Amino acid sequence: MSDLVVILVMNGFVWGLIVALIALGLSIIFGLLDIINVAHGDFFMVGTVLAWTIILVTGNFWLAFLVVPLLGFAIGAFLERWVMRPIENSAELSIVATFGLSLIFQEVVRATFGATPKRILDPIGITIPILSLDYQVYRLFAAAVSVIAMAAFFLFLHKTKFGTWMRAVRQDRETAVALGVPANRVFIMTFAIGTALAMLGGVVAAPITTVDFRLGLDVLPLCFMAVIIGGLGNLPGTAAAATLLAVMEGFIISFAEPTTARIISLLLMCVVLLVRPQGIFARRAK
Amino acid sequence: MTGKTPIAGNIPLKGSRTSLVCLAVILTAMPMLVGDFLRVFIAEIFIWGLFAMSFAMVYGYGGMLSFAQAVFFGAGCYGFNLGTFYFHFGTWGAILSAVAAALLFSVPVGFLATRVKQHHFLLVTVIVSVLITTTLSSGHWRWIAGPFVTRSLTFVPELSLGLVTLSFIDTTVTYYFTIAMVALAFGLAWLMVHSPFGSALIAIRDNERRAQLVGLNVNTLRWMMFIAAAGVAGYSGALYALLARYTSLSFWDWTYSGQAVVMAIIGGAGSLVGPFLGTAFYMIVTEHLSRYFQQFIIIFGVIMLIIIRYAPEGLWGLILRGYKTVAGVRA
Repeated sequence: MSDLVVILVMNGFVWGLIVALIALGLSIIFGLLDIINVAHGDFFMVGTVLAWTIILVTGNFWLAFLVVPLLGFAIGAFLERWVMRPIENSAELSIVATFGLSLIFQEVVRATFGATPKRILDPIGITIPILSLDYQVYRLFAAAVSVIAMAAFFLFLHKTKFGTWMRAVRQDRETAVALGVPANRVFIMTFAIGTALAMLGGVVAAPITTVDFRLGLDVLPLCFMAVIIGGLGNLPGTAAAATLLAVMEGFIISFAEPTTARIISLLLMCVVLLVRPQGIFARRAK
Repeated sequence: MTGKTPIAGNIPLKGSRTSLVCLAVILTAMPMLVGDFLRVFIAEIFIWGLFAMSFAMVYGYGGMLSFAQAVFFGAGCYGFNLGTFYFHFGTWGAILSAVAAALLFSVPVGFLATRVKQHHFLLVTVIVSVLITTTLSSGHWRWIAGPFVTRSLTFVPELSLGLVTLSFIDTTVTYYFTIAMVALAFGLAWLMVHSPFGSALIAIRDNERRAQLVGLNVNTLRWMMFIAAAGVAGYSGALYALLARYTSLSFWDWTYSGQAVVMAIIGGAGSLVGPFLGTAFYMIVTEHLSRYFQQFIIIFGVIMLIIIRYAPEGLWGLILRGYKTVAGVRA
């Protein structure tokens, strides 16, 4: 029994790191562009489907780690420039627009990939014994990739000129523009990076979950939870909240139904939204 | 604050009374011209249109992007069915119990959701919908939905009008009843949004801080609108349960709220007529496209993006704009 708890908590931890990666994209898009991206879960879903397609075409799963984020970057840049930019002055319309994108993505995938869920085989195929049970090495690898990707993103944000621009625009858009930051390029870049992160998350998660056109609908609430509990626009808080939430759900699943775990985290999120809308990690409002 | 959905329904038009009479005549004559299928289909357009209108009430007039409308629609469906099942209500009583069920959900949900602003409002409504759907469909709580988890109404409800009692087995009865009930709800909603209450809400939507300084109680007014719209959604749910004699837990799901959003935005969420137009467009096109092309929703996604980009006031706004141009040329 206790072994099972350890495994479930570990699964929760791995899944939490992947969700953190996806939620990070959601969070920067919100923080910079003021867009609640309802299609973010579908970006993730497209990532898993692209990973599946790449295996089908080339037979090599590892190629997906290179190709899919690049594709995501291109798709994100395109969407920012041609869909989101023209309506950037209205937060509500942008939500409705991303909802439209979400419908389009889901149905395009259903039309091309099909409506039946598919599985990707464990690409490493090795298990190691943890306590009395076998544990997939791929899950540990997935956790490592997520951590590396997040670390790389934080390095980008803090050590490069573009990252500094992004942080500047987030802090104070008008002053940043006045000081010569090319805001439009920053916006495109942000949306593109956010999309790429979600799709990378999709590739990482593809062998763990099933590949299905409805996957986004499951992941989106999780990402929202992480972003809200961590604080809208607070990146380290988002990553921490995602991991904590998933570990908590994993722990609860060990003695109760999965839906009970989900209900508890949803209730937790309601409380956070109402009592501390700035998130539990925020020191003070910016 | 940033939401500036243009209000299209407020402009008094010269021909509006004539067109209203024409519409009434056409709708009255319709059952004599068409068969069973079309009668039910038209009635269904009106029900989903009313549902979309409930979204337009919170979004277009209240400035609240709510994804919880489906919860109230579902509550209406189940309120109706459980009312007939447990309490043996007749049609009228069951409709009342449906609205009561929707209000029961909307009072606490609205209270919580209207405490927070814009983005957080949307998130609260989505979370609450997911929470309620998850709870209802999980093993422990399935009993709430009782015998109607997936089953349909096992008997044909009857309509008592004092002296006569009509059976809903006749589609003509269903048709007239649905249209009349929808028209009633539409009339009440129209009176509401054109009352001082409605004007106060529009003021809040357009400039919240100024409305607050004028002395409007922003949170309470938005809460009241939220409850009213939920009542309308529950009412449309009851009409649907009556028409289709079928309910499903999936009606609670927030993807159905999303459908209301699509239909209202296409038709024009800034008016009460727009959602009906959007629904009619959606359902007729769906009916035809789905024969050739299963993934017709893609087309709606694209249409929605185009409308948001070029005509944020929707189809109804386009019609009004066209009408004004023509009338202006004539004058």
